Amino acid sequence: MSPNDSVRVTTTVAVEPAEAFEVFTSDVDAWWRRGPRFRADGARPSQMRFEPGRGGRLLEVYDEASGDAFEFGRVLDWEPPKRLRFEFRGRNFAPDEVTFVEVRFKPAPGGTLVTLEQSGWSALRLDHPVRHGAQEPAFIAAMGGWWAELLGSLRATSRARRPR
Amino acid sequence: MSALDATLAALADPTRRRVVEALRRGPRRAGELAETTQMTAPALSRHLRVLRTHGLVSEERVEHDARVRVYRLRRERFEELQAWLTEIEVFWTLQLGSFKAHAERRARAKRT
Repeated sequence: MSPNDSVRVTTTVAVEPAEAFEVFTSDVDAWWRRGPRFRADGARPSQMRFEPGRGGRLLEVYDEASGDAFEFGRVLDWEPPKRLRFEFRGRNFAPDEVTFVEVRFKPAPGGTLVTLEQSGWSALRLDHPVRHGAQEPAFIAAMGGWWAELLGSLRATSRARRPR
Repeated sequence: MSALDATLAALADPTRRRVVEALRRGPRRAGELAETTQMTAPALSRHLRVLRTHGLVSEERVEHDARVRVYRLRRERFEELQAWLTEIEVFWTLQLGSFKAHAERRARAKRT
Protein backbone atom coordinates (compact mmCIF):
# COMPACT_ATOMS: atom_id res chain seq x y z
CA MET A 1 0.00 0.00 0.00
CA SER A 2 1.32 3.38 -1.00
CA PRO A 3 2.33 5.61 1.90
CA ASN A 4 0.88 8.68 0.19
CA ASP A 5 -2.59 7.51 -0.46
CA SER A 6 -4.63 4.62 0.77
CA VAL A 7 -6.02 3.37 -2.54
CA ARG A 8 -4.13 4.47 -5.62
CA VAL A 9 -2.83 2.12 -8.27
CA THR A 10 -0.86 2.86 -11.42
CA THR A 11 0.21 1.11 -14.57
CA THR A 12 2.05 2.08 -17.74
CA VAL A 13 0.35 1.05 -20.93
CA ALA A 14 2.12 1.06 -24.31
CA VAL A 15 -0.39 3.26 -26.16
CA GLU A 16 -0.90 7.04 -26.41
CA PRO A 17 -3.13 8.74 -23.78
CA ALA A 18 -5.95 9.33 -26.28
CA GLU A 19 -6.05 5.64 -27.13
CA ALA A 20 -5.75 4.63 -23.48
CA PHE A 21 -8.73 6.83 -22.61
CA GLU A 22 -10.69 5.44 -25.55
CA VAL A 23 -9.97 1.81 -24.61
CA PHE A 24 -10.65 2.44 -20.95
CA THR A 25 -14.12 3.79 -21.70
CA SER A 26 -15.39 2.32 -25.00
CA ASP A 27 -13.84 -1.08 -24.42
CA VAL A 28 -14.67 -1.35 -20.73
CA ASP A 29 -16.49 -4.64 -21.16
CA ALA A 30 -13.46 -6.21 -22.82
CA TRP A 31 -11.08 -5.51 -19.96
CA TRP A 32 -13.32 -5.26 -16.87
CA ARG A 33 -12.91 -8.63 -15.24
CA ARG A 34 -15.81 -11.00 -14.90
CA GLY A 35 -17.07 -13.00 -11.95
CA PRO A 36 -18.51 -12.16 -8.55
CA ARG A 37 -15.44 -10.34 -7.34
CA PHE A 38 -15.51 -7.78 -10.10
CA ARG A 39 -19.06 -7.47 -11.32
CA ALA A 40 -22.08 -6.42 -9.30
CA ASP A 41 -23.85 -9.63 -10.26
CA GLY A 42 -21.05 -11.94 -11.30
CA ALA A 43 -23.38 -14.91 -11.60
CA ARG A 44 -25.20 -13.47 -14.65
CA PRO A 45 -23.73 -12.72 -18.06
CA SER A 46 -23.27 -8.98 -18.34
CA GLN A 47 -21.86 -6.18 -20.44
CA MET A 48 -20.05 -3.25 -18.86
CA ARG A 49 -20.64 0.10 -20.49
CA PHE A 50 -19.65 3.73 -20.02
CA GLU A 51 -22.18 6.15 -21.46
CA PRO A 52 -19.87 8.81 -22.87
CA GLY A 53 -19.75 12.31 -21.46
CA ARG A 54 -20.43 14.01 -18.16
CA GLY A 55 -23.62 12.69 -16.59
CA GLY A 56 -23.36 9.36 -18.44
CA ARG A 57 -23.66 6.18 -16.46
CA LEU A 58 -21.33 3.29 -15.79
CA LEU A 59 -23.59 0.29 -16.27
CA GLU A 60 -23.49 -3.44 -15.95
CA VAL A 61 -26.13 -4.46 -18.48
CA TYR A 62 -27.83 -7.86 -18.14
CA ASP A 63 -30.51 -7.51 -20.77
CA GLU A 64 -30.33 -4.89 -23.48
CA ALA A 65 -33.96 -5.28 -24.56
CA SER A 66 -35.59 -4.90 -21.15
CA GLY A 67 -33.04 -2.38 -19.89
CA ASP A 68 -32.14 -4.62 -16.96
CA ALA A 69 -28.87 -3.20 -15.62
CA PHE A 70 -26.96 -2.21 -12.51
CA GLU A 71 -25.76 1.38 -12.33
CA PHE A 72 -22.39 1.83 -10.61
CA GLY A 73 -22.70 5.59 -10.82
CA ARG A 74 -22.56 8.68 -12.97
CA VAL A 75 -19.65 10.10 -14.89
CA LEU A 76 -18.62 13.31 -13.14
CA ASP A 77 -15.77 14.39 -15.41
CA TRP A 78 -15.13 13.25 -18.95
CA GLU A 79 -11.97 14.92 -20.19
CA PRO A 80 -10.32 12.87 -22.93
CA PRO A 81 -7.45 12.23 -23.23
CA LYS A 82 -6.47 13.27 -19.72
CA ARG A 83 -8.95 12.45 -17.07
CA LEU A 84 -12.08 10.54 -16.17
CA ARG A 85 -13.95 10.62 -12.92
CA PHE A 86 -17.02 8.65 -11.95
CA GLU A 87 -19.08 7.61 -8.97
CA PHE A 88 -18.65 4.06 -7.91
CA ARG A 89 -21.22 2.26 -5.81
CA GLY A 90 -21.31 -1.37 -4.88
CA ARG A 91 -24.49 -3.39 -4.87
CA ASN A 92 -24.51 -3.43 -1.07
CA PHE A 93 -24.19 0.35 -0.71
CA ALA A 94 -26.92 2.35 0.99
CA PRO A 95 -28.51 4.96 -1.28
CA ASP A 96 -26.53 7.75 0.37
CA GLU A 97 -23.19 5.99 0.16
CA VAL A 98 -20.88 6.64 -2.74
CA THR A 99 -17.19 6.50 -3.57
CA PHE A 100 -15.33 8.19 -6.38
CA VAL A 101 -12.91 6.85 -8.92
CA GLU A 102 -10.58 9.17 -10.75
CA VAL A 103 -8.43 7.95 -13.63
CA ARG A 104 -5.66 10.12 -15.04
CA PHE A 105 -3.85 9.42 -18.29
CA LYS A 106 -0.45 11.06 -18.57
CA PRO A 107 2.06 10.80 -21.41
CA ALA A 108 5.03 8.75 -20.26
CA PRO A 109 8.08 7.21 -21.94
CA GLY A 110 6.76 4.23 -23.87
CA GLY A 111 3.10 5.17 -23.62
CA THR A 112 0.77 6.36 -20.92
CA LEU A 113 0.96 6.39 -17.17
CA VAL A 114 -2.50 5.49 -15.88
CA THR A 115 -3.24 6.43 -12.28
CA LEU A 116 -6.45 5.23 -10.72
CA GLU A 117 -7.53 6.51 -7.36
CA GLN A 118 -10.60 5.57 -5.40
CA SER A 119 -11.66 7.93 -2.66
CA GLY A 120 -14.60 9.31 -0.78
CA TRP A 121 -15.59 6.05 0.90
CA SER A 122 -18.94 6.27 2.53
CA ALA A 123 -17.80 9.30 4.49
CA LEU A 124 -18.80 11.58 1.69
CA ARG A 125 -22.56 11.64 1.57
CA LEU A 126 -24.46 12.26 -1.60
CA ASP A 127 -26.20 15.17 0.06
CA HIS A 128 -22.95 16.53 1.46
CA PRO A 129 -22.83 20.27 0.66
CA VAL A 130 -19.28 19.88 -0.57
CA ARG A 131 -20.59 17.96 -3.58
CA HIS A 132 -22.17 21.14 -4.87
CA GLY A 133 -19.17 23.36 -4.34
CA ALA A 134 -15.98 24.10 -6.19
CA GLN A 135 -13.84 22.75 -3.37
CA GLU A 136 -14.89 19.16 -3.99
CA PRO A 137 -11.57 17.84 -5.36
CA ALA A 138 -9.72 19.52 -2.52
CA PHE A 139 -12.08 17.94 -0.05
CA ILE A 140 -11.57 14.50 -1.51
CA ALA A 141 -7.82 14.97 -1.57
CA ALA A 142 -7.95 16.00 2.07
CA MET A 143 -10.05 12.94 2.90
CA GLY A 144 -7.58 10.69 1.12
CA GLY A 145 -4.77 12.29 3.04
CA TRP A 146 -6.68 11.94 6.25
CA TRP A 147 -7.19 8.22 5.77
CA ALA A 148 -3.61 7.69 4.70
CA GLU A 149 -2.27 9.57 7.68
CA LEU A 150 -4.60 7.85 10.08
CA LEU A 151 -3.77 4.41 8.74
CA GLY A 152 -0.07 5.24 8.60
CA SER A 153 0.00 6.27 12.20
CA LEU A 154 -2.01 3.24 13.26
CA ARG A 155 0.34 0.94 11.35
CA ALA A 156 3.26 2.57 13.13
CA THR A 157 1.45 2.13 16.44
CA SER A 158 0.72 -1.54 15.89
CA ARG A 159 4.34 -2.20 14.88
CA ALA A 160 5.59 -0.47 18.00
CA ARG A 161 3.24 -2.46 20.21
CA ARG A 162 3.98 -5.85 18.70
CA PRO A 163 5.80 -7.98 21.27
CA ARG A 164 9.34 -8.87 20.29
CA MET B 1 -24.50 -3.96 9.59
CA SER B 2 -21.01 -5.44 9.57
CA ALA B 3 -18.26 -4.17 11.86
CA LEU B 4 -16.70 -2.42 8.90
CA ASP B 5 -19.98 -0.71 8.02
CA ALA B 6 -20.23 0.41 11.62
CA THR B 7 -16.71 1.82 11.47
CA LEU B 8 -17.43 3.73 8.28
CA ALA B 9 -20.79 4.95 9.52
CA ALA B 10 -19.26 6.27 12.72
CA LEU B 11 -16.51 8.02 10.75
CA ALA B 12 -18.97 9.57 8.31
CA ASP B 13 -19.38 12.53 10.63
CA PRO B 14 -16.66 15.22 10.48
CA THR B 15 -16.97 16.01 14.19
CA ARG B 16 -16.39 12.38 15.09
CA ARG B 17 -13.39 12.29 12.79
CA ARG B 18 -12.02 15.21 14.82
CA VAL B 19 -12.48 13.19 18.00
CA VAL B 20 -10.70 10.19 16.43
CA GLU B 21 -7.98 12.57 15.26
CA ALA B 22 -7.49 13.82 18.81
CA LEU B 23 -7.36 10.25 20.16
CA ARG B 24 -4.68 9.23 17.68
CA ARG B 25 -2.15 10.93 19.91
CA GLY B 26 -3.14 8.74 22.84
CA PRO B 27 -5.89 8.18 25.39
CA ARG B 28 -7.68 11.33 26.55
CA ARG B 29 -10.12 12.32 29.24
CA ALA B 30 -13.49 13.69 28.17
CA GLY B 31 -12.54 17.13 29.47
CA GLU B 32 -9.35 17.20 27.42
CA LEU B 33 -11.24 16.03 24.33
CA ALA B 34 -13.87 18.75 24.74
CA GLU B 35 -11.09 21.30 24.90
CA THR B 36 -9.17 19.95 21.87
CA THR B 37 -12.26 19.65 19.71
CA GLN B 38 -13.86 22.84 21.08
CA MET B 39 -17.13 21.11 21.78
CA THR B 40 -19.56 21.44 24.63
CA ALA B 41 -19.62 18.51 27.04
CA PRO B 42 -23.12 17.33 25.95
CA ALA B 43 -22.23 17.48 22.25
CA LEU B 44 -18.99 15.62 22.81
CA SER B 45 -20.71 13.04 24.95
CA ARG B 46 -23.20 12.36 22.14
CA HIS B 47 -20.40 11.76 19.65
CA LEU B 48 -18.41 9.64 22.08
CA ARG B 49 -21.48 7.50 22.60
CA VAL B 50 -21.73 6.83 18.84
CA LEU B 51 -18.02 6.04 18.61
CA ARG B 52 -18.37 3.71 21.58
CA THR B 53 -21.48 1.88 20.38
CA HIS B 54 -19.86 1.48 16.95
CA GLY B 55 -16.85 -0.03 18.64
CA LEU B 56 -14.22 2.51 17.62
CA VAL B 57 -13.50 3.87 21.05
CA SER B 58 -13.32 2.27 24.46
CA GLU B 59 -14.11 3.95 27.74
CA GLU B 60 -12.28 3.30 30.97
CA ARG B 61 -12.72 4.60 34.45
CA VAL B 62 -9.78 5.91 36.36
CA GLU B 63 -9.04 3.93 39.51
CA HIS B 64 -8.84 6.72 42.00
CA ASP B 65 -11.74 8.78 40.64
CA ALA B 66 -14.91 7.09 39.42
CA ARG B 67 -16.15 10.30 37.79
CA VAL B 68 -13.25 10.55 35.37
CA ARG B 69 -13.42 8.55 32.17
CA VAL B 70 -10.61 7.98 29.74
CA TYR B 71 -11.21 7.28 26.05
CA ARG B 72 -8.95 5.42 23.68
CA LEU B 73 -9.09 4.13 20.10
CA ARG B 74 -9.72 0.42 19.60
CA ARG B 75 -7.03 -0.62 17.19
CA GLU B 76 -8.76 -3.77 15.87
CA ARG B 77 -11.44 -1.70 14.17
CA PHE B 78 -8.87 0.28 12.26
CA GLU B 79 -7.05 -2.88 11.28
CA GLU B 80 -10.28 -4.13 9.68
CA LEU B 81 -10.47 -0.88 7.78
CA GLN B 82 -6.89 -1.38 6.63
CA ALA B 83 -7.64 -4.91 5.42
CA TRP B 84 -10.63 -3.60 3.50
CA LEU B 85 -8.53 -0.91 1.83
CA THR B 86 -5.93 -3.50 0.86
CA GLU B 87 -8.71 -5.53 -0.75
CA ILE B 88 -9.78 -2.50 -2.79
CA GLU B 89 -6.19 -1.95 -3.86
CA VAL B 90 -5.94 -5.54 -5.08
CA PHE B 91 -9.26 -5.14 -6.92
CA TRP B 92 -8.02 -2.13 -8.91
CA THR B 93 -4.56 -3.59 -9.47
CA LEU B 94 -6.14 -6.61 -11.15
CA GLN B 95 -8.47 -4.39 -13.16
CA LEU B 96 -5.69 -2.11 -14.41
CA GLY B 97 -3.56 -5.16 -15.27
CA SER B 98 -6.40 -6.49 -17.37
CA PHE B 99 -6.90 -3.05 -18.98
CA LYS B 100 -3.20 -2.82 -19.88
CA ALA B 101 -3.17 -6.31 -21.41
CA HIS B 102 -6.27 -5.58 -23.46
CA ALA B 103 -5.12 -2.13 -24.68
CA GLU B 104 -1.74 -3.48 -25.76
CA ARG B 105 -3.21 -6.56 -27.45
CA ARG B 106 -5.60 -4.32 -29.37
CA ALA B 107 -2.79 -1.96 -30.42
CA ARG B 108 -0.69 -4.89 -31.68
CA ALA B 109 -3.65 -6.29 -33.61
CA LYS B 110 -4.23 -2.90 -35.25
CA ARG B 111 -0.61 -2.66 -36.40
CA THR B 112 -0.55 -6.06 -38.09
